Amino acid sequence: MSFNTKRWPALLLSGLLSISLAACGSGSESSSSDSGSSETPGKSSATIELAISKSSQDSPFIDESLLKDFEQETGIKVNLQLLPAEQTATVLQTKLAVNETPDLVQYNLASATTDLNLERNFEILDDEAWVSRLQNKEVLSAYGHVYSFHVSQDTGMQGVVYNKDMFSDLGLEIPETFEEFLAVCEKIKASGVTPVFMPYKDNWAANIWPAAAFANAVADDPNFFDDLNANKKKWTDVPEFVTILEQQYEIFKQGYTNPDVLSDSYDMAVGKFLNKEVAMMFMGDWLIENVAEKDPDMKLGLFAIPSGEGAKLGASPLGGQLFIPKKAKHIEEAKQFLDYIASKEVAQKMVDERGYVSNFNDVTTPELPAYKQEIVDQYITPKKTLLTTDAYMLVDRSELYRALQDQFAGSKTSEQVLQDWNDKFIQLMKDKGIEGF
Amino acid sequence: MKTTKSLYSYTLVWPALAIYTVFFVVPALIGFYYSFTDWRLDRLEISFVGWDNFKRIFTDDTLILAMKNTFIFAIATVIGKNVLGIALAVALNMKLKSRNFLRAIFYSPSILSVLVISIIFTPLLRTEGAVNGILSAIGLSSLNQAWLTDPSIVIWTIAGVSIWQHTGFQMAIYLAGLQSISKDYYEAATIDGAGSWKSFRYITLPLLLPAININLMLTLIGGLKVFSEVFVLTGGGPGNASQVVGTIILRTFGEGAWGLGTAINTLLFVAVTLISIPLLLFMRRKEVAE
Repeated sequence: MSFNTKRWPALLLSGLLSISLAACGSGSESSSSDSGSSETPGKSSATIELAISKSSQDSPFIDESLLKDFEQETGIKVNLQLLPAEQTATVLQTKLAVNETPDLVQYNLASATTDLNLERNFEILDDEAWVSRLQNKEVLSAYGHVYSFHVSQDTGMQGVVYNKDMFSDLGLEIPETFEEFLAVCEKIKASGVTPVFMPYKDNWAANIWPAAAFANAVADDPNFFDDLNANKKKWTDVPEFVTILEQQYEIFKQGYTNPDVLSDSYDMAVGKFLNKEVAMMFMGDWLIENVAEKDPDMKLGLFAIPSGEGAKLGASPLGGQLFIPKKAKHIEEAKQFLDYIASKEVAQKMVDERGYVSNFNDVTTPELPAYKQEIVDQYITPKKTLLTTDAYMLVDRSELYRALQDQFAGSKTSEQVLQDWNDKFIQLMKDKGIEGF
Repeated sequence: MKTTKSLYSYTLVWPALAIYTVFFVVPALIGFYYSFTDWRLDRLEISFVGWDNFKRIFTDDTLILAMKNTFIFAIATVIGKNVLGIALAVALNMKLKSRNFLRAIFYSPSILSVLVISIIFTPLLRTEGAVNGILSAIGLSSLNQAWLTDPSIVIWTIAGVSIWQHTGFQMAIYLAGLQSISKDYYEAATIDGAGSWKSFRYITLPLLLPAININLMLTLIGGLKVFSEVFVLTGGGPGNASQVVGTIILRTFGEGAWGLGTAINTLLFVAVTLISIPLLLFMRRKEVAE
């Protein structure tokens, strides 16, 4: 009896095992036959694959009606590959490495240069018809070539986000020097509000101040970043960089910030502004948009990082562009898709719906939200913006961000932050095989 | 007859062996190979670089710090989880009214997800958080710390959180061990005049050795492979102050240095093996038959 009862579970288990093995087998077979069928050449009604992060599902390029209209007009179907947000880079790296490339990829241009090896993996789009209608080629270009596509040129601006009502209540002017900024902080603090919110548990947030201020400090030397990326100059060569890091730390040391800067994270920022607990933060204008979504009556604005004289607003590199991999199976169809979106009507509709600053000279920019219009009038039109250091970087910056955290934890001085980042930068560039390192 | 002696044929081991080979042995061997190459995200050709990756591991300050942190975490959690685990088990093996209730309470943290733990502990451990608040309230404000943001103590804090979470699990194994010890020994010892410390030292501990062995192995290997606690509580920060080998591997892969990342992983594998197997053999010899 016991013999039998013992045998049954074993049989059951081995049965289950063989079923699961069989399931694995059939699964892999069906997927391989799938890829086989999509390879069949010469079909007019091709299907192109567009890979995009799940976190970018509000992208205008995968709007359902857009894809449907495109299919009706051309017969080309767009199939979406939604990639898990935290693994987007890894999955794309793998797909590109094993030649299972999608036909279109949505990614950020700046990160594509560091994460996805832009030059090796993606098509140069210089000769496309829509390139001649671009107002601002730079936001789509790297290494002197157009590599990516977007209808917008609104890159997102970085500086000091501030509560305009608090400033007018206290009779404060926009500070233009660091001394003026400290004076503003002092007055805000006296009124019982935390002047600056620093959510530096998220280490990238500590980089907003230096990223814009560094670029400002070397604005007179147009070759600085080329030299830096060729190992002809070093991060430690510019004395102003040390000053800039000192300044940010001083704001914290003087008690003008939340006390626990390394425990507070970026996701708390919107709430801090809504509750009127804080007056300012070093961030991009996307924060203003996020606050406005929750409370349209909050009046926030943006001014340039007041680190030195004549500070300009930092411009982030544009994100969310479309790329065509070199090894895509349907390059022509993918290009057709870009042509379709670039056509005057489609692009106009997209720009209107999303409130973009148009990048095509025959597509007009719609009326912008007040804060954005102000940025356009005060900074963009008078050309008082400049790209932040991030735009020039060819390697991952997270070690710089971590070094900045160390500074706020008290374990590194400004000089050490720059020295350590300089060493790490050289190592990363060397690993990457950049000439001169 | 032979057939009645062995109930199942050895051929039944093949499916398990096949899966183990395909998903563990083969990747591990491939990993060994790649750890001697300069395999990178942005390079097409992979070339053999000898010991370069390993040389770099032992000259990079952050990696050395990560190894130091990993050992601190492993040793602290092995001692903490096992000492507290035995103490709890002995206490909750006594005849208490609330015994079952207390066992459930102490065991419950170990069934929580580590993400939940991080959401609970991150606010508690802030400088103006509840932990410092309680310390101040009982007059110990001199012990107040920036638990998760002071580079010199952050790894100890994470170890403490891990001990809090898992001690109950170790306790459960020790309880099972204690219950298999016959009461007769204690009766005999009491008659011979042994006090409670002596019966613990000369009866409980030796007979508990199999359970201690299992727990030492589990906590040591778990401690050396630590990743999730550090990742969710600090992400290796502030700066790199709480990096451990597990988080460094993630970071290295993120930088696209796949060869180097694999080398660190191989090193971790070898270290875990070299530490745990001799320890296991040593402890086995100490075990006594009841």
